[in-house]
Amino acid sequence: MKTTHGCIGALLVFTAVASLSAHHSFAAEFDVNKPVTLTGAVTKIEWGNPHIWVYVNVKDDHGALQPWQCEGGAPNTLTRSGWSKDSLKADEQITIYGYLAKDGSKTCNLRTVTLPGGKTVFAGSSAPDAPKK
Amino acid sequence: MTRLIATTLTIFLATAGAVRMLAAGQQEYKPPAGPTPRTSSGKVDFSGVWEKPYVPDMSKDGKGQKSAGDLPFTPWGETEWKAYDAAEGDYTGACLPFGMTRSMNTPEPMQFMQSDTYVSFLFEQNSWFTVVPIDGRAHRKGEATWFGDSVGHWEGDSLVVDTANFNGKTRLDTIGHPHSDQLHLTQRFSRPDLGHITYEVIVDDPKTFTRPWKNVRTLTLRPDWEMMEYSCEENNKSLWEGRIKVPKYKP
Repeated sequence: MKTTHGCIGALLVFTAVASLSAHHSFAAEFDVNKPVTLTGAVTKIEWGNPHIWVYVNVKDDHGALQPWQCEGGAPNTLTRSGWSKDSLKADEQITIYGYLAKDGSKTCNLRTVTLPGGKTVFAGSSAPDAPKK
Repeated sequence: MTRLIATTLTIFLATAGAVRMLAAGQQEYKPPAGPTPRTSSGKVDFSGVWEKPYVPDMSKDGKGQKSAGDLPFTPWGETEWKAYDAAEGDYTGACLPFGMTRSMNTPEPMQFMQSDTYVSFLFEQNSWFTVVPIDGRAHRKGEATWFGDSVGHWEGDSLVVDTANFNGKTRLDTIGHPHSDQLHLTQRFSRPDLGHITYEVIVDDPKTFTRPWKNVRTLTLRPDWEMMEYSCEENNKSLWEGRIKVPKYKP
């Protein structure tokens, strides 16, 4: 499984996380001390408020596919940044950088996505970089 | 541990890189230039769709946002602040009303609609709105509410909105700074030119703070934007799947 997570104390990183979304407090759901990197194939996009959700199948350490779900920004903000519900397509290989949910489920907060072409774009809210398709 | 720190740095650098790509690929938005518009009755006209700075923490400065620094808590306010844990209950995550300051703080835009009698704040965040009488009437004497009761008046070319009678169930900002039902807000809007609003909010809550304090912000006109529907309940998976909890309010 292409996942790593761990411990941080840098205020710098928390500041970056805090700018993700206004719908709820980051700390209500996610753990700033558990950053995660996930590489896998997109299985589904849910394009709705208050957050988009990106679903990916990620191989674990034994080669088995594990389903993950990651929360992105609000679709309104992402639309104004150039995203659409078609920006990510099923079966595309992507890498997600984010933070794990506190409850231990295969859930993460989506911060950036590296697209199949190699470009890394912001996928939270309140930042304007996104794929222009 | 080295691996863990490396992961953190990877995320941060990827994010910083994504933002830098914007700077290289796009020019920063500039609103249209021109004089301050006025209504047919001669008042400053605040109508339009406005981009607001996102202010998750009202004690911090940011782009388009000047804070007052560390907040002057009373002992009660300090206790409330230190005890707050969003993981134990997040009312906005549960799609309950954000309240006035937190609606003004969101990155989603707002639209002003104005007549000689009313100004309406249309918040895209959760498609909420507040209607503010500006004809000199006094506050209503109804039940306390999430957004409070607002009345406005003109001080020269500035529109001053006075809000009181809050139910005390909201937080001032995303990070969770507290307030009580004694909260009193004074919001001052001025429009120095076509493209900008200067916005000042004074927070006065003697139960929570030892003195009033304020934020000063710049709002930017976005004639290229239209307001969009925002249904908070549409797909609030985090609440439905139990990762976000509804706060336990005292009856």
